[in-house]
Amino acid sequence: MSNHLKSNVIPPSRQREAPRAGMTWIGQSMKRVEDPRILSGKGGYIDDIAVPGMAHAAMVSSPHAHARIVSIDTSKAEKLPGVIGVYTGEDMARVVDPCPSFASPPITQNAMSVGKVRHVGEVVAAVVAEDRYVAEDAAELVEMEWDILPACVDLEASAAATGEAVLHPDDRDGNVALDESFSFGDVDEHFDEAHTIVKRRLRWRRSSAQAIETCGVVAQFDPFKGGYTIHSNSNFYNFIPFVIGGSLRVSPGELRIIPVLTGGSFGSKVFSHKIIILTAGLARLAGVPVKYIEDRLEHFTNSDSHGSDRLYDAELAVTEDGTFTSLRFTVMDDYGAYLQFGVGTHGNAMAQVTGPYQIQSFGMRVMAVLTNKTQQGPYRGFGSEVTNWVMERMVDAAAEELGRDPVELRVQNMIQPDQFPYMIPTGNIYDSGNFQKVLSEAQTMFDFDGWRDKARAMRAEGRCVGVGLATCMERSVYGPTEWWSLNNKETPGFTLTSTPEGITVRLDPSGKMFVTLNSPMVGNSPETVVAQILAERLTIAPEDIVFNYSDSQSGFNGVGPQGSRFTAMIAGACVSASIKLEEKLKRFGAHMLQRRPEDVELRNGTVAVKGLKDQEKPFGEIALTSSFFRLSFPDGEEFDSGIETTAVYDHPLSTDPAEDRSHLGIFYPIVGHICHIVAVEVDAGTGKVEILDYAAVHDNGTMVNPRTLAGQVWGGTANGIGTTLSEVFNYDDEGQFTNPNFAEFAMPTANEMPRNFKLGHVETPSPFTEYGIKGGGEGGRLGAPSALTSAIEDALSDRGVKITSLPVTPPILRGLIRTAEQTAAE
Amino acid sequence: MTKVSFQLTVNGRVREASVPPRMLLSDFIRHELAMPGTHVGCEHGVCGSCNVMLDGKAVRSCLMFAIQAEGSEITTVEGLATGDDLHPIQQAFWEEHGLQCGFCTPGMLATAQELLAENSDPTDDEIREAISGNLCRCTGYEFVISAIRSASVKLRAAQAETTLQPV
Amino acid sequence: MKPSAFRYERPTDLQAALALLATGGDARILAGGQSLVPMMNYRLAQPACLIDINRVSDLDYIREDGDVIAIGALARHGAIKSSDLIKAHLPIVAEAYDWIAHAAVRNRGTLCGNLCHADAASEMPAIMQILEAELVLAKVGTTRTVAATEFFVGTYETAIAEDEMLTEVRIRKPAAGTGWGFEEVAMRRGDYAWCTVVATLEISDGNIVAPRIAIAGVNDCAARLGTVEGALTGKKPDASLFADVAATAAEAATPTENAAYKRDLIRALLPRVLNDAVERAG
Repeated sequence: MSNHLKSNVIPPSRQREAPRAGMTWIGQSMKRVEDPRILSGKGGYIDDIAVPGMAHAAMVSSPHAHARIVSIDTSKAEKLPGVIGVYTGEDMARVVDPCPSFASPPITQNAMSVGKVRHVGEVVAAVVAEDRYVAEDAAELVEMEWDILPACVDLEASAAATGEAVLHPDDRDGNVALDESFSFGDVDEHFDEAHTIVKRRLRWRRSSAQAIETCGVVAQFDPFKGGYTIHSNSNFYNFIPFVIGGSLRVSPGELRIIPVLTGGSFGSKVFSHKIIILTAGLARLAGVPVKYIEDRLEHFTNSDSHGSDRLYDAELAVTEDGTFTSLRFTVMDDYGAYLQFGVGTHGNAMAQVTGPYQIQSFGMRVMAVLTNKTQQGPYRGFGSEVTNWVMERMVDAAAEELGRDPVELRVQNMIQPDQFPYMIPTGNIYDSGNFQKVLSEAQTMFDFDGWRDKARAMRAEGRCVGVGLATCMERSVYGPTEWWSLNNKETPGFTLTSTPEGITVRLDPSGKMFVTLNSPMVGNSPETVVAQILAERLTIAPEDIVFNYSDSQSGFNGVGPQGSRFTAMIAGACVSASIKLEEKLKRFGAHMLQRRPEDVELRNGTVAVKGLKDQEKPFGEIALTSSFFRLSFPDGEEFDSGIETTAVYDHPLSTDPAEDRSHLGIFYPIVGHICHIVAVEVDAGTGKVEILDYAAVHDNGTMVNPRTLAGQVWGGTANGIGTTLSEVFNYDDEGQFTNPNFAEFAMPTANEMPRNFKLGHVETPSPFTEYGIKGGGEGGRLGAPSALTSAIEDALSDRGVKITSLPVTPPILRGLIRTAEQTAAE
Repeated sequence: MTKVSFQLTVNGRVREASVPPRMLLSDFIRHELAMPGTHVGCEHGVCGSCNVMLDGKAVRSCLMFAIQAEGSEITTVEGLATGDDLHPIQQAFWEEHGLQCGFCTPGMLATAQELLAENSDPTDDEIREAISGNLCRCTGYEFVISAIRSASVKLRAAQAETTLQPV
Repeated sequence: MKPSAFRYERPTDLQAALALLATGGDARILAGGQSLVPMMNYRLAQPACLIDINRVSDLDYIREDGDVIAIGALARHGAIKSSDLIKAHLPIVAEAYDWIAHAAVRNRGTLCGNLCHADAASEMPAIMQILEAELVLAKVGTTRTVAATEFFVGTYETAIAEDEMLTEVRIRKPAAGTGWGFEEVAMRRGDYAWCTVVATLEISDGNIVAPRIAIAGVNDCAARLGTVEGALTGKKPDASLFADVAATAAEAATPTENAAYKRDLIRALLPRVLNDAVERAG
């Protein structure tokens, strides 16, 4: 281990439930608990919420990328029948303060602009009216005068911009909001000693999750109690009161956030704090409950969830025999107009930046550049999808420069199964894995050698067929230090280190088990997962478990589904709750059976005497007796009525970053591994890519529900295919967002997905989490871009086309082929 | 604002309506009839979440005005199940994990219903083509396709059973 | 994204519809609404009055009229796609529909509405031109017929007057043995085309006869490629000939955007379309 990592000590495992063979419920593809109500149209999404007296908001949005607001005339809009009020940013500023920010020092952002707009779609005024139609009529009547400022669109130009082109002159002198350099280990030494230094300039362009449901809020303000009641489809509802209470000028306890079933997130609804502040402010100003649901255009242009938009200058140091020793890069990231998460996406990427390879040191310079575009937010991978692609591009490039087989080179550098837990240069650890097994299963499933021969033969006939393989990491169970560990060391910001997940479990006198969750359902399967784990641990039938979701006042800690954390974290909470509940059940049950607690056990939903068949009390009978027949039990607190417990689970394995940032600590240690292999054919004349065959093998540790995990993998892979082949946000030179609609932002349909998609799993349990579960919510998107890019490059290898930028839409790919053809002709 | 009054049948029930002519059918179903199962994803006719069955055909309810449905019969997702029994297509979506967040699902179900009414034994490619007008961001479509394939088996089995019953 | 208010009219016969159209005042015909309503939802279109012709049931037909196939203003894409008459006589129309939108949109959208919308990247305007369709435009008291080749003037611009309505498309059945080809590149199947190339031709004594070729998605509106047709007439099908005419067509194109790519697409697709058409001719 390199010296810089010596102080980063791996804490002992807190695992209580080891995985074991023959579990009853864990590992079953049980049908989802959530589905019947959703399938029958009774899910209860945000736009299904209606409260008495509710009015509707419509926004007046900026048509300009960068402009000063000279005047706003709302008089015509106010006179329209049905309008309750029209409000500007200055009106809003009377009741709300700027949005919270993880950037340090912060970049000021108002939920509604004051004085200046910095991207197209930014809200400058809002109408509250009796219905949305009238509200939109009135919004059209608001008259604006603008003083247009120069728009910063290009990443590098914006970084160099001065004067009026500076977006936030009050907060920063220029548009580079953060510029930090890090070195983990002996980077310079490794590069000095390298036999070959592979260099590439790589570009990853912005897109976003675009869940089919947009963000929405129904907000009510109670002037007498001074608090807000807010329905929101945020993923983070038990956490945001603490972050936005300040913006809304109330204590967190005065904010009651009620969750709803959420129509997809993929990161895009992790926070949703701006829309909550905006709608809550309008409810307060208008004096009525207000509903605001983003329309699709607003979701594209103002939802603060655009994905990474980066330019890498990357270098890989390689020894003569092909051993990778160091990786370093300079990365500039086009963050858009604000910096809500700081450079958290780059912190995230530090969790697995060196991939599955034994690379001894790593260095980077990261620059956050502000431009006149909608700001970035999370999107499935949260920045790690980009470094996965960069790493795999660099390995392919190294193979080419060294004249080595790309798969063989990967195998040579891979971390070995006996090296876990393995600490990478940034300080994060990989808890466990067997990358070689994942690779070999994927190769077998795909018939990799057969396909490579076939592709070579097809190329010889003039067809552009190629095979690509990627071996990537899938970090899971995030620790929050990634939010701030890359911040300026003098002003680290909000140094949050907790990500708890809580659960309340109560046995009802009827025998039903009532479970209250503190994180919302966003398309994952929280109820199913909990039903399977509690059934496993407490021997209860899953159909006897009933689910509720707390609101932020009635609930306990919950951080929500993000960073592929929920399944592993709630499993921990389930185990904690089960331990407490088991102890209680045994105490009451043993008394009823006239035995000692140590002589009884849980068996098929009963407390039963060990070794005796018929001596048992069903949970329901115990709960009934304990709830309604107190006098059947001895006096004393330990027999207080009712069987109920609340438990919380903290991150199982994290450490603080080093004070001097010589390492970042352990923050994302539960790692999965994935291998994607794909065969494609490129139509050289048109640039269209057809996926001929696809195989993915994922190792997400112990699988709770293989079918729902498969659903996550396929869905993520579809996202990754879109990211690679078709999805990109286009801005013109004036900063106009030219394709903010589903007709032109081309997300894959069923027609674009591979016909022949094979999925396999390897299970390497985590030694640190309960049952060895790892997260698996992001993997598809973490692997597909690398494999596809590699396949396309292979297909065009005879033509000398190199892919250094994503996406490769048909026009872009055809452009690369055309350039190669022209070069060849010259 | 001027309103138009009319009648239509929704899930077998005659409904009276009085709405402005510009009210979209999707908003009418969701907010006037308080049947929120029909979802609005894009309001420009691409995502298909708002698909409903109108006189036996799947249509985008965000691209029609409510008044245009006067006298028509509409089936929404709320009209699929019989009492507590899910429709075989819903049942197949449940068994095959054909949904994750469920937001696009009502539109998918309408599309599947139309496909299977016209083609009781579709190939995977025909299913793929049929649902290609419904965007789903969660599933990658694989299990949606399995679900519709499984639903076709269920519906054919049910059909065979009905046919075999003595008159 | 909600439409602005409008006056709603729903005539039940053509004359009433035309009378409403004649009163002027920014009225639009509402047929399938699959292009108009999205524009209204975005408020890019804000007509004062909509004349909904969906109850003018006399206009809902696809019929044989001697050697002509007549398609009424209310015939939906879906009905045309699955019509046996269309499959038998105009297979290019039936097949092309696989590339045009998706089932639920085709269930409502109409051919006539699509032609009047005149999107430069829409397929049917090109197909109607190679089929030499005639478009019947009616107004109060009179009708006229315009050739499809004369109908499309520019992006969203046609020869139709404000008080006129496209009531019927008339397509002469192609001669026996007519071959056809259709190729398209779009981001996704069902999207508006980046480039569509369509062709019909006959083969006589091994030579190309009556080639008709059109492209969409490239210029400001779909258009026939007269020069290419001339260059092919009377010639034997040949790969280098096809490549040559494709190169000529690519150079002659006036793409409204992404010119190099659009020209590449013409070069790539035109020979494929011609090969398919030759193969189908017989």
